[in-house]
Amino acid sequence: MGIVFTRLFSSLFGNKEARILVLGLDNAGKTTILYRLQMGEVVSTIPTIGFNVETVQYKNIKFQVWDLGGQTSIRPYWRCYFPNTQAIIYVVDSSDTDRLVVAKEEFHAILEEDELKGAVVLIFANKQDLPGALDDAAVTEALELHKIKNRQWAIFKTSAIKGEGLFEGLDWLSNTLKSGGG
Amino acid sequence: MFSLFYGLWKYMFSKTEFHVLILGIDKAGKTTLLEKLKSQYSNLEGLPPDRIVPTVGLNIGRVEVSNSKLVFWDLGGQLGLRSIWEKYYEEAHAVVFVVDAACPSRFEDSKSALEKVLRHEDLQGAPLLILANKQDLPQSVTAEEIARYLDLKKLDERVYTFQAVSALDGTGIKESVDWLVDVMERSKRTEMLRTRAGLPNS
Repeated sequence: MGIVFTRLFSSLFGNKEARILVLGLDNAGKTTILYRLQMGEVVSTIPTIGFNVETVQYKNIKFQVWDLGGQTSIRPYWRCYFPNTQAIIYVVDSSDTDRLVVAKEEFHAILEEDELKGAVVLIFANKQDLPGALDDAAVTEALELHKIKNRQWAIFKTSAIKGEGLFEGLDWLSNTLKSGGG
Repeated sequence: MFSLFYGLWKYMFSKTEFHVLILGIDKAGKTTLLEKLKSQYSNLEGLPPDRIVPTVGLNIGRVEVSNSKLVFWDLGGQLGLRSIWEKYYEEAHAVVFVVDAACPSRFEDSKSALEKVLRHEDLQGAPLLILANKQDLPQSVTAEEIARYLDLKKLDERVYTFQAVSALDGTGIKESVDWLVDVMERSKRTEMLRTRAGLPNS
C-alpha cells in the first residue's frame, strides 16, 4: 500500500507545498487511516494553544489530523492550518448513528471556511467492518452531501482496521487533483 | 460607491452561468463525457479515459462557450446513488442524459431512470439533451433507434433532442454543446431561475 501510494502522489504536487486535512469527530478512525497508509511516522503535537494536531509529512505534502467538535474556544486556531489546503478527507464512523448529526454539522461548518473553498472533499464512510454500519448511500444522505455544489466530492466505504477502501479513495483524490479539481 | 459601480458592471457584463446536470445509469460514459468537455472547452487536460473510475459523488466541469459559462454537474449513476440526483434538480438549467447506445440489455434501465427524472417537478421545463453515446463502438445503435426505444411521453413543453456522440473520440460533442447553449439562452426555465435568483432578464 505504501508503495502504491508513493507512486500516486509523488508526481502530483511537484515541489509545491501542499496540505491535506484529515478531519472528523473523535474516534472516527483518522489516525488508524494515517497509520494504514504507511507514509511515515505520525507525529503528535499538543501545542500551547491547546488542541492536538497529528502530522505526517510525506515529501512536500503535509497530512494534518485533528478532531472536530468539542470546545468552541479553540476553533479560531484551526485556521492556522487552512492555507494551501488542496483536499479535505472527512472521516465518519458509519456505525455511530447517534452522532451523525453532529458529524454533519461540523462538516458543513468547516466547508464554509473561506480558505478551504477550493479544496476537494473525499469522505470515508469508515468502520464498515462493524455491525450496523450505514452504507455509502445512507451516509451521503445523513451528511447531506448534496448541499455541496461548488466543489467535487466522492464517498468511499472504508474499513481502516482492515485497510479496505482507502486506496480507492486516494486514487480518486489523486485523479481529481490532477485533472484540475475544485 | 465603488460597490455601486461594481454592481452595475457586473449587471451589464457578467456572463450568464448555466448549470447542466449530466445524468444516466452507471457505465453510460458520463464522466468520460465530462472529461472530454473539459479538454475541448477549457485549458484543462481532462483525465484520460483509462484513469476514470466509477463516480461516487459529484464531478464538476467548468467551461466557457462563446459568451456563456457552463458548469457541468456529473453525478454517480449507480442505483444506490441515484437518490441524490434530485437534490441537484432545482438549480439545473438543463439536463444531459447519457445512454450507452452499445448496450441494449440496459436500455430498459435507462428508460425507467429517465422517466423518473422527467416526472420530477423540480425539473419542470428544463431542456433535455439525450446522448446516444459510444458511437465509436461498431455495435452501437443510432440516435433515432434510441429515441424509438425510449419512446418518451409526457414531454409536454420541454425542449429536447437526441444526438449521437462518442465521448471517447469527441464525435457530436460540439453539436451537443451548441444546441445546449442555444436552448438554455432562450428557455423559460432560465428566465425562471434568473428571476428566482434576483437577476435581471435580458
